[in-house]
Amino acid sequence: MLSHPALKAIRRELFASRTDGLISLGLLALIGASLLGLLRWAFLQAQWVVIQANSTLFAVGRYPLDQQWRLWLLVALLAMASGLSWGLLRAIPRADRSGVLWPLNDRIALALLAFLASWAPAALGLSVPLQARWWLITALLLAIRWSAGRWGRRLPPRLLKLVPLIWPLLYLLGMALISGGLGLVRVPPSEWGGLLLTVLMASFAILASFPLGVLMALGRRSELPLLRWGSVVYIEFVRGAPLITLLFLGQNILGFMLPGGLAPDRVWRAAWVLTFFCGAYVAEAVRAGLASVPAGQQEAARSLGLTVPQALQQVVLPQALRIALPATVGQFISLLQDTTLLSLIGLLELLGTARTVMANPDFLGLTAEVYLTLAVLFWCCCAALGLGSRALERRLDPTHSPA
Amino acid sequence: MTTPSISSAQAPAATGPWMIEAIGVQKRYPNGFHALRGVDLRVRRGEVVVIMGPSGSGKSTFIRTFNALEEFQEGSITIDGTALSNDLRNIDLIRCETGMVFQQFNLFPHLTVLQNLCLAPVLVRKRRRSEVERQATALLERVGIAEQASKYPGQLSGGQQQRVAIARSLCMEPRILLFDEPTSALDPEMVGEVLEVMKGLAADGMTMVVVTHEMGFAREVAHRVVLMSEGRIVEEAPPSTFFTNPQHERSRQFLAQIL
Repeated sequence: MLSHPALKAIRRELFASRTDGLISLGLLALIGASLLGLLRWAFLQAQWVVIQANSTLFAVGRYPLDQQWRLWLLVALLAMASGLSWGLLRAIPRADRSGVLWPLNDRIALALLAFLASWAPAALGLSVPLQARWWLITALLLAIRWSAGRWGRRLPPRLLKLVPLIWPLLYLLGMALISGGLGLVRVPPSEWGGLLLTVLMASFAILASFPLGVLMALGRRSELPLLRWGSVVYIEFVRGAPLITLLFLGQNILGFMLPGGLAPDRVWRAAWVLTFFCGAYVAEAVRAGLASVPAGQQEAARSLGLTVPQALQQVVLPQALRIALPATVGQFISLLQDTTLLSLIGLLELLGTARTVMANPDFLGLTAEVYLTLAVLFWCCCAALGLGSRALERRLDPTHSPA
Repeated sequence: MTTPSISSAQAPAATGPWMIEAIGVQKRYPNGFHALRGVDLRVRRGEVVVIMGPSGSGKSTFIRTFNALEEFQEGSITIDGTALSNDLRNIDLIRCETGMVFQQFNLFPHLTVLQNLCLAPVLVRKRRRSEVERQATALLERVGIAEQASKYPGQLSGGQQQRVAIARSLCMEPRILLFDEPTSALDPEMVGEVLEVMKGLAADGMTMVVVTHEMGFAREVAHRVVLMSEGRIVEEAPPSTFFTNPQHERSRQFLAQIL
């Protein structure tokens, strides 16, 4: 009766003994019941109209309608850059990669993207032209992914070296597109909102806090007393205070502390507070990484005639940062989640937007739908960060690379 | 066994100018431990000096003062005419001319073997990468591991790693090589391959100061053997005299223990 190997495996894993079997049955019943309940709620009771009606608000907040083409352009550029990088990563075989153009993970990602592009815009009840834009952007991404994978190897190496530069350039261009300037109408930060504001705040704080954290970690190990004590005081002060206090404090005192023009409005002040906050934790992660590099590495580098900065840059930091990577990315993930605290100082990022939507008399009582959507959005962003970090870890681990 | 024969590895007794002149070197650690209590050593160009001694006798500390990995408080050290001072430029200059091979290899694990060799010549000597790579490949061939150039240190055996470390030092074209117990961390069957490379270097006239317990190597290759104990040099003699007719009681004790 139980001849199929899968059945045998199930029996071995779940029903090895009578107690095991009872526990398994109980858990299965529990999981099944809650899943059933969730699905029944999601399909029969939930009123997703609250998400459909406010999808633009959740995405970009009160960003002016006539300027939203800039965001569409940015999304399209991001899709193109992702397709290009993704394709080239697979096309150029390196020591740590299989050289397969479409490994299993990529095929899963492809299916997922295709599903999202066809399902999500329709589920959100977007108009057909808007749906078409999402199809087009996804098609663009996949087409570039395909062609970069197929022909990427033929590009001249000098050009290939420039490809990673696309990302910082795109970040600056994106900032310009979002905020205006360069001949575009200025859109003040107070009009940014929703997912746009969340991603902007988190990405700015991540990018700025990383170098800050590295500098602070080096400062804490420095032999110059002023530098060392300055770093210690900064790190311990920030780590000793809850983020929300710092955010309120920042709204009041950051204007005095930063040179004029650097923190002109509430949004940027909050961004700087997030940066300083995250920087302190990154510093501790990097310090742990630095401490784990054997002293012999520094000695070998110095005995070869490398100067202290050269030894640090070429020998110690690359190893320390790789070790610090998981803890640092963990910090970034909590930072992303901490952006929800910005709603408490009145910024309309995802949670803030959600609260205004739920306060709208038209959508009273639809909190479960809104919070579930938020949770899924955050989960997707954090999962992406985590996946990226693990991929980077594997790539930087020399012992795993088959030569 | 009466008089040890001079092997082919041993270069003729060096008569060149002084490459290392250490006079009255004293070192105290911050915790008060008096590691070096006035050590004098002079090494000529092309000479191979082996330093022996029980652990804690200060022999590693002593050779680590030659390239300023350890500071010292009194005395003077002159490397190839350049006095070792607190001037950072002087220290960098001396480190370029003084290669060091460590007990724990200390290869850079995040770089390939070839990158390990090329890092310093490109960064410090400002030489062209292509030219350095050619030299590095030749050096790897000389130490017998040319086929491993694109591997990472973690993928090599201990003996191979130590040979890479020697090649890495040689790639800077140093005038002096310091060895700090180069075979102590190796499995016994890998000691030979590293010693062979070192013998080859000695035969080519490299000035070498070697801290080691390898009696065979000392007998065969060294021009002079130095015994250190408790931060002082106890005995200094050619290997033939040192191993067969040590003058000091402390040397006799040490030899009795390791033979």
